[in-house]
Amino acid sequence: MRPVLVLVDRTATPPGVCRSTCALLTLARRLGPPMAVLCGPSDAASVALLGRFGAATIATIARGELDQHPAAARVELLSHLARRTTPAAVLVASHRLGQEIAARLAARLGSGLVSDAVDLRMGADGPVAVQSALLGAYRVESSVTRGIPVFTVRADAVAPTAAPMEPDVQRVHLNFPSAVRAVRRITRRPAGSELPPELATAAVVVAGGRGLGSRQSFGLVDALAKALHGTPGGSHTATELGWCPRREQIDQVGTIVHPRLYLALGISGSVRHRAAMRHAETIVAIDRNPRAPIFDVADLGVVGDVHRVVPELLAEISRRKAYPMISHNEETT
Amino acid sequence: MTVRLVLGLALTAVAFGLAGRRILTLLRLARAGQRAEPERTTHLGPRLWAIVTEVLGQRKLLKWSGPGLAHFAVFWGFLILGATIVEGYGALFDPDFHIPLIGTQAWLGFLEDLSIVAVLVSLVAFAAIRLRHRPEHEGRRSRFFGSHLGAAWLVLFMIFNVMWTLLLCRGAQINTGNFPFPEGAAFASEAVARMLEPAGHAANEVLETVSLLATLGVVLGFLVLVVHSKHLHIGLAPLNVLFSRRPRGLGPLLPVHSGGVPVNFEDPDEDDKIGRGAIEDFTWKGMLDFGSCTECGRCQSQCPAWHTDKPLNPKLVIMSLRDHALAKAPYLLASSDDERAKLPRDVLAEAARPLVAPEASGGVIDPDVLWSCVTCGACVEQCPVDIEHVDHIVDMRRYQVLIEAQFPKEANVMLRNLERAGDPWGRGAKARLEWTAGLPFEVRVFGAGGEERLPDDVEYLFWVGCAGALDDNAKRTTRAVAQLLHEAGVEFMVLGSGETCTGDAARRLGQEMLFQELATQNVETLTGAGARKIVVTCAHCFNTIGNEYRQLGGDFEVVHHTQLLSRLVADGRLRPAHPVDTTVTYHDPCYLGRHNRVFEPPRELLGSVPGLRLTEMPRSRETSFCCGAGGARMWMEEPLGTRINETRTDQALDTGASVVAAACPFCISMLTDGVATRKEQGKAADDVRVTDVSELLLRSVRAENEAPGTLRQ
Amino acid sequence: MKIVVLVKHVPFTLRNLTFGADHTLDRAERPGQLNEADEYAVDQAFRIARRRRDVQITAVTMGPPAAVGALRKALVLGADDAVHVLDDRLHGSDALATAQVLAAAVDRLGFDLVLSGSASSDSGMSAVPAMVAELLGVPVLCFADILRVREHKVEIGRDDGAGLRTYAAELPAVVAVTERCGEPRLPTLTATLDAHYKLIHTWSLADLGIAGHGGATVVRAVTAQPVDRTHVVLADDPTVAAIRVADFLALHQFL
Repeated sequence: MRPVLVLVDRTATPPGVCRSTCALLTLARRLGPPMAVLCGPSDAASVALLGRFGAATIATIARGELDQHPAAARVELLSHLARRTTPAAVLVASHRLGQEIAARLAARLGSGLVSDAVDLRMGADGPVAVQSALLGAYRVESSVTRGIPVFTVRADAVAPTAAPMEPDVQRVHLNFPSAVRAVRRITRRPAGSELPPELATAAVVVAGGRGLGSRQSFGLVDALAKALHGTPGGSHTATELGWCPRREQIDQVGTIVHPRLYLALGISGSVRHRAAMRHAETIVAIDRNPRAPIFDVADLGVVGDVHRVVPELLAEISRRKAYPMISHNEETT
Repeated sequence: MTVRLVLGLALTAVAFGLAGRRILTLLRLARAGQRAEPERTTHLGPRLWAIVTEVLGQRKLLKWSGPGLAHFAVFWGFLILGATIVEGYGALFDPDFHIPLIGTQAWLGFLEDLSIVAVLVSLVAFAAIRLRHRPEHEGRRSRFFGSHLGAAWLVLFMIFNVMWTLLLCRGAQINTGNFPFPEGAAFASEAVARMLEPAGHAANEVLETVSLLATLGVVLGFLVLVVHSKHLHIGLAPLNVLFSRRPRGLGPLLPVHSGGVPVNFEDPDEDDKIGRGAIEDFTWKGMLDFGSCTECGRCQSQCPAWHTDKPLNPKLVIMSLRDHALAKAPYLLASSDDERAKLPRDVLAEAARPLVAPEASGGVIDPDVLWSCVTCGACVEQCPVDIEHVDHIVDMRRYQVLIEAQFPKEANVMLRNLERAGDPWGRGAKARLEWTAGLPFEVRVFGAGGEERLPDDVEYLFWVGCAGALDDNAKRTTRAVAQLLHEAGVEFMVLGSGETCTGDAARRLGQEMLFQELATQNVETLTGAGARKIVVTCAHCFNTIGNEYRQLGGDFEVVHHTQLLSRLVADGRLRPAHPVDTTVTYHDPCYLGRHNRVFEPPRELLGSVPGLRLTEMPRSRETSFCCGAGGARMWMEEPLGTRINETRTDQALDTGASVVAAACPFCISMLTDGVATRKEQGKAADDVRVTDVSELLLRSVRAENEAPGTLRQ
Repeated sequence: MKIVVLVKHVPFTLRNLTFGADHTLDRAERPGQLNEADEYAVDQAFRIARRRRDVQITAVTMGPPAAVGALRKALVLGADDAVHVLDDRLHGSDALATAQVLAAAVDRLGFDLVLSGSASSDSGMSAVPAMVAELLGVPVLCFADILRVREHKVEIGRDDGAGLRTYAAELPAVVAVTERCGEPRLPTLTATLDAHYKLIHTWSLADLGIAGHGGATVVRAVTAQPVDRTHVVLADDPTVAAIRVADFLALHQFL
């Protein structure tokens, strides 16, 4: 059977494997024997985890280019492997990096691409990808008619399930052409550095509102923002009351934010506030009032007291940072 | 005798020459402005009536009783004393001169003397006011802050000189037998005569001549002074009142005019002047406004921006424009480029000043001044000479937005949302019916049943408005009004997703192009639906649909919900039976009250609720203090000075009321914020609430404290 | 400097949209507007043009006749001219087919910089800019939260969740900007009027020398499904709630 290439997402420190890869492997197994493409060190724990989620083969490669020019080098690597193994499909997680890699790979291979798949299955004439279209109102099923199908997968839509295998680890030898060095990273702002990113361009924003009740409690916002490498902000009310500086105001007349994650603490979600954060990709809200309008736009809403939930959340986050692992219930669901 | 005739006529010739040259310059300057809107010279009836009430009756001045009475006395004193000038000139030719027919009658002599005394008393009052409120003493709070103080004192001094020389002359005339009035009439002149009598006949003859020449000299000097100072208003104010917008310079904004013709934004002419980008872009009426300003500071005393320590001061705006216009006049009036090049350096520097720019770049009007205006119209309301401050500010904004793209960047968010989603928050048409969820009856939506015209049984089209449909506080009002109309059996329909913003904020920001787009679309929708009677809950929608859509051919009868509900209560169709035991203060929304004169209906509604006690704020009705949201200020940051909404909140809290009622969603939003802040600071009781008048009515019509289906705060 | 901006015409709202019999969106009939992210891209091009004198901005779109509306808007926002690729065979193009046509158009125009919005609001076409770059054989910088153009190179800043990083590439290059790069200004009246006089060229596939055209993907089925976006949980026990939130964050890779 033709293999299915799965590009592995790595965690930075310590080197490990992201949960998204486990989800991708879960889907990949339906299409053929998964071949996990592992860039960077092939440590025993990572190999074992990939095996547990069904990787039949692990192609490993550790080269400086993969770290310095992540997108271009991975496109080079995947197209090399695709030409060598003619896989049944290539699966990449659909985050920013993954989308770029998949698009370039598809263009280079002359292959069809289906983005943001929430499910995959084997059809009569090849893999079928399911997308959620028009704000989730429709399920669209597509298949690729030309070339090696390339899919980006929304890993959050897939529950990983284990299917242990003993993976065959193969080392890949590849000399990268100079073209992969076309895009250079010139500065890197390490996560957790002193100053948080600018509010307008931040990927993660944690904002507080009236529900925090006091300037002291507003420290919870700063603490959670720091824990998530995000930027703190405040609602119109919070800035009016002097709980946070004016430049941190997320409001129709303040800063308009476009983060991937927006965490609203004690914010009811007035229309002027929503005007400033409605572009957020994912919204999590914690507020005491179950009828707060913020819950109408939240992807996850918690009705509760921020003063009690947030300290618990901070503790939970530091616990998980200390022991990064796939939680038990995810493996078995 | 001949000497005094020659001297008198020579003085007159010099003064007329000086004054005439100045008047000619001013006239040419006014003509350098654009043509004014043609409506300014039509409808003569109301215009003349305005002259009668505002000029002759001094209606607006008398709103401030003390200074108003003093001005009334001086104004009428001067009119009457016109007779003494005629008498004076007559005396140059013939010492025995008297005005034909009435010239020797006692009442005239008495009236003239009364006027002299009244003017002198008024002068004392004016001086006292100026001393008491001098800027060195009161700073920004002084209404003479930034006014030309020296010139004002000089004018008072000159009037004083006219009076005492006149009195002296008349006294001497009595003693020389040249006085035309019978004994016992001119009481003040006679008192002076008695004092002069001991000097002897010859001395009195000399005194008569000298003081007559002095009087005429002072009057002529005064004439020259007047045309060179802020006291131009003596001549210009009546003209300004004559050509001002009627019934008042409030309510609708005028469309963008260029050369006296409205600009067609779908296909504008290349030479069209958009807004005011330079002083010469103002119309002659604008120039007349600037010339009419007396620097009295009544406008600034009412201005919410000035009250909260912002740089905007309507008086200083007009003064800056006038001073700039006069300083740039040689440049504007030069006949050729060569002549312009030869002008003194300071004139060229003045000509190079941008109209709107920061002070550091030499701007005449600072952008912070321009963008601080809430267009509440308190200045226009007060101005005794009917200057149209708001129109000038919006016209300058129009240029800044449409040509320069210079405006507070926060407002861009609102404009883009209006453009892309049709409402200022970017929620989009789909969200416009969310407020109906959970109501115990079905709200009829136009077009839902496939109808293309409003059915005959529908009496009112309920225009919900962006805030009414999307803002959580305003949605409560919308639901309350819908429930009350349902309760009263009034058939109504809403447009649902067929509504877009009326464009009020865009227009007041100066984005006329976007306003025209939105307004045209709405006029088409409303006309297409056959809407005639429209009820609105937003004071801004009320003003825009009711007053401004007429400019685009949309003629609708628009009522505010407080008007409709108060009529329903009066007709017995709504019965506020249950007592609401609370103290309420009512905040007049600018665009409902001052701009559109709806003062009573909300108060009638509150009065109809049993148990409810209404306490008024010192600033209410015509002098209501803006909440801070008007003039698109809702959509801008307020970084300068203190908060307008908090200032108004304090005024409301000072009444001791536990409910602050208003009748406009933006006022409610601003006051809610203000009360929340004060509560947080411990300066307001926890039970103080801000609410719409209709919600109080609903509480009284229904037994429940909280109407079913109403969102809880 | 020649900047080509790739723009797209999208429906006003995603509600009440329907799919046609061939499983493609019925977009020709719908009133539409310029895709919001592309508005940002045109604005970024215009900002570059305001800083240097030698900039020529061309907006390019492909789509049905109504798509010319997106080009008009781009011209108002600052593009100097525009190209509309219009051909019956374009209907139902997928990302790769779209990219091939756009790449051919860009190639024909010549370019130093290609700009595009990083996602279109009506479908997952975020792949197009990267594909265009690959087909043109030039570097691509995707998801630019900040864009800076220097003499011969382009720099972008981007925050993928772990702070801002800066990347650079030599020109020519393709850059896809996000909506974080700054709100576009509403155009002035002057710009709106000037746009009436700007040219919109219409090219067919034959003009681009594309003979065979077709997608590499096919839609098999479309089914409506109930939308359930929000998940509200009650936090009787804050610890349970915290774990629930942490799980959610982990699931979406924020932890």
